[in-house]
Amino acid sequence: MTQPLLQVDDLYVEFRTDDGVVQAVSGVCFDLEPGETLGIVGESGSGKTVTNLAIMGLVPTPPGRIAGGEILFRGQDLVGMPPGELSRLRGNDIAMIFQDPMTALNPYLTVGEQLTEVTRLHLGHDRGQALTHAIEMLDRVGIPAPDQRVMDYPHEFSGGMRQRVMIAMALSCKPDVLIADEPTTALDVTIQAQILELMKQLQEDEGTAIIFITHDLGVVANICNRVMVMYGGRIVEEARTVDLFAKPRHPYSMGLLRSALRWDQDTGEELKVIEGQPPDMIALPPGCAFEPRCPYAEAGCSEQLPPLVTLDDSRRHACLVDIDSSSSKGF
Amino acid sequence: MSTGSNTPLLEVRDLSVHFTSQGDWLGRNKRVVRAVDGVSFTVAEGETLGLVGESGCGKSTTARAILKLLPLNSGEILLDGERIDQLSDREMLPYRRSMQMIFQDPFASLNPRMTVGSIVSEPMKIFGLHDPADRRLEVMRLMDLVGLNPRFLNRYPHEFSGGQRQRIGIARALAVEPRLIVCDEAVSALDVSIQAQVINLLQDLQQKLGVSYVFIAHDLAVIRHIADRVGVMYLGRIVELASARDLYDNPQHPYTSALLSAAPIPDPASELDRQRVMLHGEIPSPDKHYPGCSFADRCPLVEDRCHKEVPTLGEGNHQAACLLVDP
Repeated sequence: MTQPLLQVDDLYVEFRTDDGVVQAVSGVCFDLEPGETLGIVGESGSGKTVTNLAIMGLVPTPPGRIAGGEILFRGQDLVGMPPGELSRLRGNDIAMIFQDPMTALNPYLTVGEQLTEVTRLHLGHDRGQALTHAIEMLDRVGIPAPDQRVMDYPHEFSGGMRQRVMIAMALSCKPDVLIADEPTTALDVTIQAQILELMKQLQEDEGTAIIFITHDLGVVANICNRVMVMYGGRIVEEARTVDLFAKPRHPYSMGLLRSALRWDQDTGEELKVIEGQPPDMIALPPGCAFEPRCPYAEAGCSEQLPPLVTLDDSRRHACLVDIDSSSSKGF
Repeated sequence: MSTGSNTPLLEVRDLSVHFTSQGDWLGRNKRVVRAVDGVSFTVAEGETLGLVGESGCGKSTTARAILKLLPLNSGEILLDGERIDQLSDREMLPYRRSMQMIFQDPFASLNPRMTVGSIVSEPMKIFGLHDPADRRLEVMRLMDLVGLNPRFLNRYPHEFSGGQRQRIGIARALAVEPRLIVCDEAVSALDVSIQAQVINLLQDLQQKLGVSYVFIAHDLAVIRHIADRVGVMYLGRIVELASARDLYDNPQHPYTSALLSAAPIPDPASELDRQRVMLHGEIPSPDKHYPGCSFADRCPLVEDRCHKEVPTLGEGNHQAACLLVDP
């Protein structure tokens, strides 16, 4: 069996706070194959960003720490890797783009200075090569007059253009894995469409594997081949995007899909909602974290943690209840 | 109160709000940003008007101008057929009871040093509503109405989640029994499951209390679900105005079509089949002045005359400000 490009195995991440220890990520495991786009969805605090910060070695320590598990990139464990070695991978083999390009770019440096820094460090380019490469990258992400814009500072770009600069920077060294954390959430919808199209195009050209974190199920439907649903720091379901939307198996995924609004249909009636509030990550229940909000919950759910089981059709889900034969009306 | 069934609750006529930039240090090169430029609409009793558009289109400025939180350059605002745009702050006070606002950020719009009880009862004090001894009960009734546990009366905003804080903001708006609530991106900061709860609450309250909403959002799906009529804004103007169903099922303005075409649908099969109209370029800066249609630069259907003639919305139930649309 060939080894997956990236393999996260039984990952635990926790944060110490004044109120107690936050179990941000618990027992997360998944594989990423070359060229695919894996979506991670979930509400704020569900652990989707922290999982990816752990992959990047960017969990702020203290207060955070990786409390267990392995993150294998091409078979090498990134957890506990010496900082020097990790720096050689980061930006080169694994790159990340963030929601807010203005805070992720350095306002004191021109875009060119920031773009050349990456390639000089990782690819050993000299000043001239690096600048040529930077202009090429800006051109590829659709920035007009790249030979002039390369001299501009981040504030001279619009929000959409800044996100293009971030993508240019992330892809400069042809990474194998690109982690995109809500990259279009702050953008207007017409600009979002442009950026999603650009990411698909670049992925097709380079074969980059993308982890796409979002809360927008429309964006998932647009760009992701596969999707993982997280709740309370755990994966509750994973499936091919088409399969998940066609028939979610975990009650939380079901509720999430039911409450997603469509602009192309008249819903008319009252929206289906998931009652209640997301769990307190400091005092997670011993059983299923979704149990207090779950219309299908049965007697054992509050005591026993549901294991993440893989079925023969390679879907995974973590729920003790057989929804199809449940007598509950559901949402 | 009402001056007859034909008078809308709120009428906005030809509203303009311009901002002038400071210019350089000698005050030269001042630029005028036409944030809102000739906007007109009405809102009937018990109706929800949605305003949708991208950043910088003037939807939030319109919201603030309706409540006179910003100075107007020109235009008229009528509440129950009476002009309120000329009133001083003091003269405006009684009208403020009829119009309230819910903000996007429930973290920033609640005073962290006040308990929920004092946040919700403050507007009652200002307007002298209820007997002071009864206010506590009234606050608890409102908390119950918006789905907050009345026992949490003495808690502070930080003790609540984002969705619950938005409910506090709604209870505060309802405290003076307003007839119109302006919701400026009121559900945008909330997670999907919580967003649906708050939308249901707003719709429930409308049925129970008959309140009208001006609902401002950038999310096209949210607007379709909540609004009876929808106005699409672009660079300070309403470019299309119609009933929600007509606008979404049969968009007339090329900008509306492009906006809908760009908005993803949470259904992989629909996403796969879609043909997208990709708009090129960015939303222009609102200080740019166009002799013709302001969308002409980005419009896929543009003709020569579009650069010269300014299109107007026209009359009827489905209005579109485009020269290429037959009136």
